[in-house]
Amino acid sequence: MSIRFENVSKSFGPKKVLDQVSFEVKKGQILFILGKSGMGKSVTLKHLIGVLAPDSGKIFVDHFEVSALHSPQRIDELTLVRQKCGMVFQHPALLDSLTNFENLAFGLRTPQYQKKMGRALTESEIEKRVFDTLKLVHLEKDVLELFPNETSYGVQKRISMARTLAPQPEYLLFDEPTTGLDPLSTSSINSLIYELSRELNVTSIIVSHDMACALSIADEILFLDQGKVLLMAAPKVVAQSKIPLVEEFFKETLSLLPPGWSPSHA
Amino acid sequence: MRNLRNTPLQTLEGLGGAVTGSYQKGYSVIYQQMHELGGACSFLYRIFHSTRKITGYQSAITDQIVAVSTRAMSTIIFAGLFVGAILVLQFESMLRRFDAQSLLGGLNTSATIREIGPLIISFLLAGKVGAYTTAELANMRVTEQIDAIESLGTDSIQYLIIPRFFAIVISSLFLLAIGLAVSVMGSLLVADFFSGMNLYEYILSIPRFVGLWTLFEGFIRCSIFSTIVATVSTYKGYTATGGARGVGKAVTASAIYINVYIVVANFISSSLLEWIHDFLQWVTS
Repeated sequence: MSIRFENVSKSFGPKKVLDQVSFEVKKGQILFILGKSGMGKSVTLKHLIGVLAPDSGKIFVDHFEVSALHSPQRIDELTLVRQKCGMVFQHPALLDSLTNFENLAFGLRTPQYQKKMGRALTESEIEKRVFDTLKLVHLEKDVLELFPNETSYGVQKRISMARTLAPQPEYLLFDEPTTGLDPLSTSSINSLIYELSRELNVTSIIVSHDMACALSIADEILFLDQGKVLLMAAPKVVAQSKIPLVEEFFKETLSLLPPGWSPSHA
Repeated sequence: MRNLRNTPLQTLEGLGGAVTGSYQKGYSVIYQQMHELGGACSFLYRIFHSTRKITGYQSAITDQIVAVSTRAMSTIIFAGLFVGAILVLQFESMLRRFDAQSLLGGLNTSATIREIGPLIISFLLAGKVGAYTTAELANMRVTEQIDAIESLGTDSIQYLIIPRFFAIVISSLFLLAIGLAVSVMGSLLVADFFSGMNLYEYILSIPRFVGLWTLFEGFIRCSIFSTIVATVSTYKGYTATGGARGVGKAVTASAIYINVYIVVANFISSSLLEWIHDFLQWVTS
């Protein structure tokens, strides 16, 4: 049970965003994907849920070859993969015509989810699941009746996370979950990711620029540069790496960390 | 001044380059148009393919039909009233020259049902509903809402596109019926108050020009045009890229392509329907 990329390449026009990218994430691991902006981090995640199709190479989620599921005839299999992978987008991406409650309940009401469960959930079951998920992201019930644009960006991010968690996915994918947040919210979201990944024991892939967070909670860190995998290793190895870009990231991060800090897995 | 010093050969080369450049530019424009048309057709195929497997979104279609109809109703009624009125004034002045005002009702109603009604309603739908649909979907696309819907295991074509597509197609027929009724009423009012026509004579002339085939032609044409509005507006919105600027570009492109395709489809459908009509008459005779 794992996620596997095998020599995946993707270009947008003349720009090669992913170039022969290969890696594997095992069940229950937390993988951080780091790198400069525009190096293909978000594109990697979007390939996983089949929003983008690779030009070449293969992507596996468990026994499904996601890269082969893009024809309209195989949309049902792609749906199954998407149900396994819950993705939290860079922006909250909440449906602005629905209230926060309806957004949270969205994944539970889809015919595809009902098909997976073998029946439609009752309204009280949906309500209970929504309240339980809301607790996981440390939000109160009073936000549920509001529309997304009536709440702060931080709350929208948490609602977006809760929406992803509600259908209980096996894999969690976070695309820059702390972008645009103040330091307090950033720290709180990072703790939340750690709690969720460990408490729910789900495999997580987190695209981020936050090296400090990566060193603290990741099992493995993958560096992408110019569309290629520069390094994939445990935080301890990353902290000692002599690769210029990794060193640069690490030095910048060290200046922000308290004295005496060391990676969690060191 | 620099060009004046060119040798005849250089001038010829420059001219050749300009012609080649124009040719290449023209070719790329044609290529782009064909690419857009192909994209829209392939999107239409995806819609019908997903429709065969649709589960659980029937109520969304009904909701969208109500939304589209109520959104466009006032404009259709207002425009329909004036379309009928304008046609009466135009036809009346022409028919008076030949002392054939008695044909006004039939000619006016026939032209409205067969040609002007479907065309005007489709153009109004393009402006009122098509632009709205494109902007709504494009905004959802650039803010990753569509990606989020798909990541939750929902087929975005089934959830977002099919209800909007069928709502536009079905409500256009309903709106056409209302638009035509209002238009005929408008023409009756103008014929009575401004042209001093005998209303009895006006109404009696209608069956001479309007039959079942006329109605059939109007509704077929309206279905074709509204399919174009529905396909292009959803396609351009669904495939939008590039933030707020991308939304603006998608709406503009949608409006342009819809109008161009409708005009071309009008010519093709007119010729085909005329041919079918003649063929059926030949068979029955």
